[in-house]
Amino acid sequence: MEDRVLPLLIAALLTLAAGAPVAFAQDAAVPPDSTVDVIDSLDVEDADLGVADEAEEIDPALRLDGIDEQLQTLQGEVDRLKKFKFSGYIQVRYDVAEADADTVKVAGSPATITPANQERFYLRRARFKLTYDHSPWSQAVLTIDAGADRQARMLDGYIALTEPRTPEPRHQLWVGQFNTPFGYEIERSSSLRELPERSRMENVLFPGERDRGLKVQSLWAERFEATVAVINGGGTGSAEFPITDPTRGKDVLGRVRALYGTIDVGVSAYGGKATVPLTGPDVQLDRTRFGGEAQAYYQLPKFGGGSLRGEYWAGHNVNSDSTKANIVSPTTANPVTLLRPGTNPNNLATDFAGYYVMWVQNLTESYQVAARYDRYDPNVDVEHDQYERWNVAAHWFYQGLTRLTVSYEIPITDRADGAGGYVDPKDNLWTLELQHTF
Amino acid sequence: MRSILRSTALRALPLVGALACALPALGVTPAHAARGVTLKGSDTMVILAQRWAEMYMKANHGKIVQVTGGGSGTGIAALINGTTDICMASREMKNAEKTKLRDRFQTMGVEIPVAKDGLAVYVHASNPVKSLDLDQLRRIYLGELTNWKAVGGPDALITVYGRENSSGTYVYFKDHILKGKDFSPRTQTLPGTAAVVNAVAKDANGIGYGGAAYAKGVRDLALSFGAGKPAVLPTAATVADGSYPLTRYLFFYVRNKPAGDIKLFTDWVVSPEGQALATKVGYFPLK
Repeated sequence: MEDRVLPLLIAALLTLAAGAPVAFAQDAAVPPDSTVDVIDSLDVEDADLGVADEAEEIDPALRLDGIDEQLQTLQGEVDRLKKFKFSGYIQVRYDVAEADADTVKVAGSPATITPANQERFYLRRARFKLTYDHSPWSQAVLTIDAGADRQARMLDGYIALTEPRTPEPRHQLWVGQFNTPFGYEIERSSSLRELPERSRMENVLFPGERDRGLKVQSLWAERFEATVAVINGGGTGSAEFPITDPTRGKDVLGRVRALYGTIDVGVSAYGGKATVPLTGPDVQLDRTRFGGEAQAYYQLPKFGGGSLRGEYWAGHNVNSDSTKANIVSPTTANPVTLLRPGTNPNNLATDFAGYYVMWVQNLTESYQVAARYDRYDPNVDVEHDQYERWNVAAHWFYQGLTRLTVSYEIPITDRADGAGGYVDPKDNLWTLELQHTF
Repeated sequence: MRSILRSTALRALPLVGALACALPALGVTPAHAARGVTLKGSDTMVILAQRWAEMYMKANHGKIVQVTGGGSGTGIAALINGTTDICMASREMKNAEKTKLRDRFQTMGVEIPVAKDGLAVYVHASNPVKSLDLDQLRRIYLGELTNWKAVGGPDALITVYGRENSSGTYVYFKDHILKGKDFSPRTQTLPGTAAVVNAVAKDANGIGYGGAAYAKGVRDLALSFGAGKPAVLPTAATVADGSYPLTRYLFFYVRNKPAGDIKLFTDWVVSPEGQALATKVGYFPLK
């Protein structure tokens, strides 16, 4: 867009400089290289407009110098404005969900249950990203989201200091609020993701995806990337402590990746403390996570690129279900929240495991299909608490920036049927989504 | 649970089937089959690509090739968001750009060298300075040398002209001459090579850089790799044998292995006929 604006501004400025009170609509289409031609034509325009006498009194060289000075000023202004970069996307959805027990699941992180409303339009994401690019030294980034029927909120807000010596910064320091650098899926933009939502394990373990702190990212060798971060822990989507960190110690995590273009592999590790808020002494527990990831890319003749991806995570985490089971909820008579008698505080956290495998295939450059199976077990020592899901989607890309998606999601969970058995509730979900990026 | 999975999977099957049937109906043929092949990117390559397109369309009745400039960065962005079939670039794609392309199309792209170019350094025709070494050139563009007197010229301030940062030529110059450092704040950025040539042609103290094919009304400087080494002008011979210091490849980038009309055009460009035209326009053939 800037390429179109600049010639227009120059043409307008030349018009003003020549004293001509009309816009050169036709000249606006002339390429910037033709500036000299426009200048050469000014005398004719002046004569046509009846201001030739005044123009003749001005030394042409002085006039050119004046125009040049104004152009330099304008160029400086344009250069400053070009440091601001705007981008974003809007996702509008229509959901049709199977409902069970008069409720319907609304996709999100984490998923929520709302009163029955099986078919709905909604705005899942409406994001606006502003970057001030002070290359090669630094960037400031602010991302606002106004989707999911929420009020506008900040998603990203960070400063990135970059190493200025190389054209592509190999070493960066980020400070602020940013995506937690653990695994592959978290840092991947929702506008690029081939399925409407991330995997269940990601939704549960990293609610909101983002956290506050600092991270250092380095491309040490051509194909070797390492990231280390120190963050509050818990994430911005944490129910108890979304912004603040109740623990003095910070959570530390790291990720290393080997990048070969067609096959990328990586491992991540996370260590920190989680707090179970109680009235009385809170309980602090270890929060540890380990992850492995791999992505393989291939080409199918006539169809285009495809990829196979997968991640496996395991660790020790405060599990909300087990927490609830061991905490006496406050009542009017007893307004304190305490552990049930005899509860071992260490049992509030459980060993979890989760993974997903995913396939994406482009069908020419306008269509794409994707399928994923993901599984999350919040407590590997307990049966019937795991979450499984199949998700398939097809995309149609229109003119590059618009994407139409049809997705079908099949969650598989066990719900006690009251007769000693378990049933899978009816909660499958059709999603039709239109996305436009800018 | 298996029965539930089976029933839900069966319910999903019509979707997959409908999509599979709908794709051909929607026209799962490459977009370029209908509107011709589109090229976007490097301003350095615009003249050359337009000549290629004209000649190709003359020789292949009914084929359409559309060429627009904007700079290598703009062309690569268009390749990533799917709004051009071929990106023209006077520099290699960066890793970050390849990652963006892979995120959308699951491919790292295909690089096709299509010609060689000598990046010329222009001065005004009346400028007595005939040659520079790369270190002098670097110091001029970093703002460390600001007077022509320092390189054997008249006692006059050097006016430095350059390109915008969306330009592949800008990136190439920054990488190879300035070693990644930033241009002097005194550098006047201009939107195209022709604009640089125009500016230098009218400025007795100007210096600029751009494709050798554009050097009309200005004079090329001979360049040497260092002090005391022979300075050479950008000619077919010096670019071909690498003795001219600022020799680079010009590229086409496509998302997938070329097929259909894209392959026909790219094959023609690297054919003896296409390469001969490159020489005629002022660039240099691959071999």
